[in-house]
Amino acid sequence: MKVREVMSCEVKTVPAQMSVQEALQLLFKLEISGLPVVNELGVLAGMFTEKDVLNFILPSYIHKVGRFVYTENPKSIRNKFSQLDKIKVEKIMRREVVTINEDATLCEAARLMLTQKARRVPVVDKTRKISGIVARCDVLRALAKEAQVL
Amino acid sequence: MLKKGISLVLISLALGFISRNFGFSFHQAAAICIFSASILGTLFFWNFRLSFAFLGTSILLITRTIDLEHLIKFSSLEVILFLVGMMVLVGLLKDSGFFAWLVSLILRIPRLNANRFLVIISLISALLACVVDEVTSIIFIVAAVIEFCDYFEVDPSPFLIISVLATNIGSSGTVLGNPIGVLIASKSGLTFEDFIVKAFPIMLLCLGAAILILKVWYRKPLGELDRKIKELGSNEMLAKLISVPPEKELKISLAIFGVTLIFIALHRRFELLWHLEPNTILLTMPLISSGLVMAWKWEKARDYIEKDVEWWTLLFFLLLFAQAGTLKYTGATDVLATNLAKVASNNLGALTGIILWASTIGSSILDNVVLVAAFIPIIQSFQSLNINLQPLWWALLFGGCFGGNITLVGSTANIVALGILEKEKNIRMTFFRWFWVGLSVGVVTTCLVWAALVFLPFYR
Repeated sequence: MKVREVMSCEVKTVPAQMSVQEALQLLFKLEISGLPVVNELGVLAGMFTEKDVLNFILPSYIHKVGRFVYTENPKSIRNKFSQLDKIKVEKIMRREVVTINEDATLCEAARLMLTQKARRVPVVDKTRKISGIVARCDVLRALAKEAQVL
Repeated sequence: MLKKGISLVLISLALGFISRNFGFSFHQAAAICIFSASILGTLFFWNFRLSFAFLGTSILLITRTIDLEHLIKFSSLEVILFLVGMMVLVGLLKDSGFFAWLVSLILRIPRLNANRFLVIISLISALLACVVDEVTSIIFIVAAVIEFCDYFEVDPSPFLIISVLATNIGSSGTVLGNPIGVLIASKSGLTFEDFIVKAFPIMLLCLGAAILILKVWYRKPLGELDRKIKELGSNEMLAKLISVPPEKELKISLAIFGVTLIFIALHRRFELLWHLEPNTILLTMPLISSGLVMAWKWEKARDYIEKDVEWWTLLFFLLLFAQAGTLKYTGATDVLATNLAKVASNNLGALTGIILWASTIGSSILDNVVLVAAFIPIIQSFQSLNINLQPLWWALLFGGCFGGNITLVGSTANIVALGILEKEKNIRMTFFRWFWVGLSVGVVTTCLVWAALVFLPFYR
């Protein structure tokens, strides 16, 4: 079975120029944790996730400081949150995105998801335009069906 | 990029040809040419420095400028292993919450006012840089400064510059403050106690001078901070903001680090007591402690080695030391040392001044490890000219550390701190905003060192 057969063709995307505030509202509305980002030509430019927002609002040295415990939420987090409407998605999105093409096998999609720690993989054509998206549950469901387990 | 590449090749080749015309042998000229290319490579293409080191070292071997046995000998593996051990220990301290605890201590300064903050932040920056390396220490100090300035709503830039300048000064106080400290200690025979007795007091004197300069230089931001402290009340709320749960692990980690420091500090006495070769305890103690840490935290041992040890930097150091050793192996440094001694008319004071100012100016542009690695074989060559080496080693140490204060790219600590500032506050430091204050502190502190090394017989 190929990726083409299991991918979702209706892909919600966010424009790279959209504000982080609006993009975050969209994630809340759709109840998902991330969306592909496209540029003005509709070409895949990156991936915007809740994790990117957390990375932005918390201090960059938080990983290095070790056991830094905030007993109250500091002003800096509120300040950074209030800046989200002025910042564009392209500033905080992840630019290195794992992609796959429609003709790849499900096994290849599964390999990418496992080795690259990706929950969902955008399906792109040769010009990097998005033709669909494949999620972990799509792959597992299809593999199970193929094995006639479920 | 292309222009820089062409300049690098042309300058290195020119240096090689000039050396050849000045009576250096083919191998000496080749060593000078390749070492210059590595130095220029770090200056022009910082991110490619390791590829320059790999290629340069290979060319030295292929052209038979040095043989494999001597290349390994000159790579100063003992220094690299020392740094690996210290990096593992710092990883343990970080995991156990030591640095976060330190940050929370800074935020809890009692009877807070701007001057008190200036003095305490400078002292902690300098002293922390003395016990862990300057690059590790600056991350935590910057974290404290940014949290502090966020709370009081003041521009963090002046306070960040203050802490970086103090960190660079403090890194000269002990063997542990800077990779150049351990490099000089391992090549000069100076002990940790020598550093404590001779380098530490000068470091404190220079820190005092720097604090006075910074107090005047930043009187407006300090006045603004005082106003904000009065407006927002003291730091009681700030103290409540961040906490570090006191855990048994933190105490054990501190005990391991403390014992390691005691052994390192008294290494010469233990070596004499147990009839060991000089520097055996100094160089193996971090390995013993990190070995015990990895046995204790066996499930995280691989993480300590893979994530906390900066292999990229250490490999670069290793190959750089080997290339600098080639200058000595071929005898190029003997010729350079003889000419340098002639320029100074064999006067120790003049020679000390030359080494001090050359290393200060050089390390304001170049990475100080690169510069010190180049100078070490030259200083070693002065021994055959019956010149007292001790003031020269101190000149190299202080020049290498204090020069980093002059420009914003002068030391890794500067680059790390300014990177965090830009990322966190979107403030991009301009060259001249740093330069004038850095130059003032750099020149005054280097003059103090110069006076001490030339006029105090204690340093001869």
